[in-house]
Amino acid sequence: MSAADGSLSAYVESTIIMTTVRVVSPFVFTFGLFVMFHGAESAGGGFQGGAIVASSIIMLAFAFGIEPTREWLDDSVIRLLVGVGATTFVGIGIGALAFDGAFLEYAAYGISHGVKYGIELVELGIGAIVAGVIVSLFMNLAGGFNHDSGGDDA
Amino acid sequence: MQLLLYGVLLTFVVFAALAVAFLRDILSAIIAFAGFSFGVAIVYILLRAPDVALTEAAVGAGVTTVLFLLAIVRTVRPGGDRLFERVAWGPAIIATGLVGVLLTTVRSLPTIGDPNSPVASSEITRYYLENAYPQTDVENVVTAILAAYRGFDTLGEAAVVLAAGLAVLVVLRKEVYV
Repeated sequence: MSAADGSLSAYVESTIIMTTVRVVSPFVFTFGLFVMFHGAESAGGGFQGGAIVASSIIMLAFAFGIEPTREWLDDSVIRLLVGVGATTFVGIGIGALAFDGAFLEYAAYGISHGVKYGIELVELGIGAIVAGVIVSLFMNLAGGFNHDSGGDDA
Repeated sequence: MQLLLYGVLLTFVVFAALAVAFLRDILSAIIAFAGFSFGVAIVYILLRAPDVALTEAAVGAGVTTVLFLLAIVRTVRPGGDRLFERVAWGPAIIATGLVGVLLTTVRSLPTIGDPNSPVASSEITRYYLENAYPQTDVENVVTAILAAYRGFDTLGEAAVVLAAGLAVLVVLRKEVYV
């Protein structure tokens, strides 16, 4: 690889890749959400769906460059996503305590099909965590090489 | 037919794994690794484990490959025109020995689909299959076990993913948390 200079010059603008990704990525994103939401009835769940959703974002970064993608999808949005996911999971667990149930005992909420909705929400929370962490891993690995490869102490 | 498919796939997977180990160019090795993950994912589908197959395809073949690619952008290719790495005999002998020991256990694995295998005839398996739907209203038993019966374990897994993400942020010094 000859990308030894300061910028991440591995990015090459390609009309074919950009057009393909523009067509494909909404479908990949939707499929990821489907796997997440439909994990209770078919194969899949939060981990798998989250990884697929993240890969649709990474696809965009590959096609349109990492910096434009980062400007479009701010780091703080991803961090918020991860936080909301984790809070949802833990919140559902602790919420059951308020209804005199055990930790994560979905039946304690007393809604009809409460267990199913509890599981769905937990899967969505996991999906948010996984998607957010994978995207931020990608962005930070890419950006980390970009800016401060020196040892500037923050 | 089924047997042929398994044969072709498993041969592909083994050769892909050997390619990862012996290819000198890291980029080629990463692509071979993606091929390996993809082959393993198809094997999982054939073995009727679609949940695991989805994870393997998305994380193993997709995300891991991309992260490896990002990581090698800044590295340099080793010089020379050799296609394959020289074999380091010490580690090779140890690895072969380990594979040999592991292969001796293959004989005691139950055949695929054997109704008398310990997993299929276990009381726990029967309990989950009989009670998962009435108790959780969820049709996918895997999801029912992961999110309901083993919900606390899954919370731990999610925490591990979260911790890994935070650790990378801290190591790359993107944020000051301390």
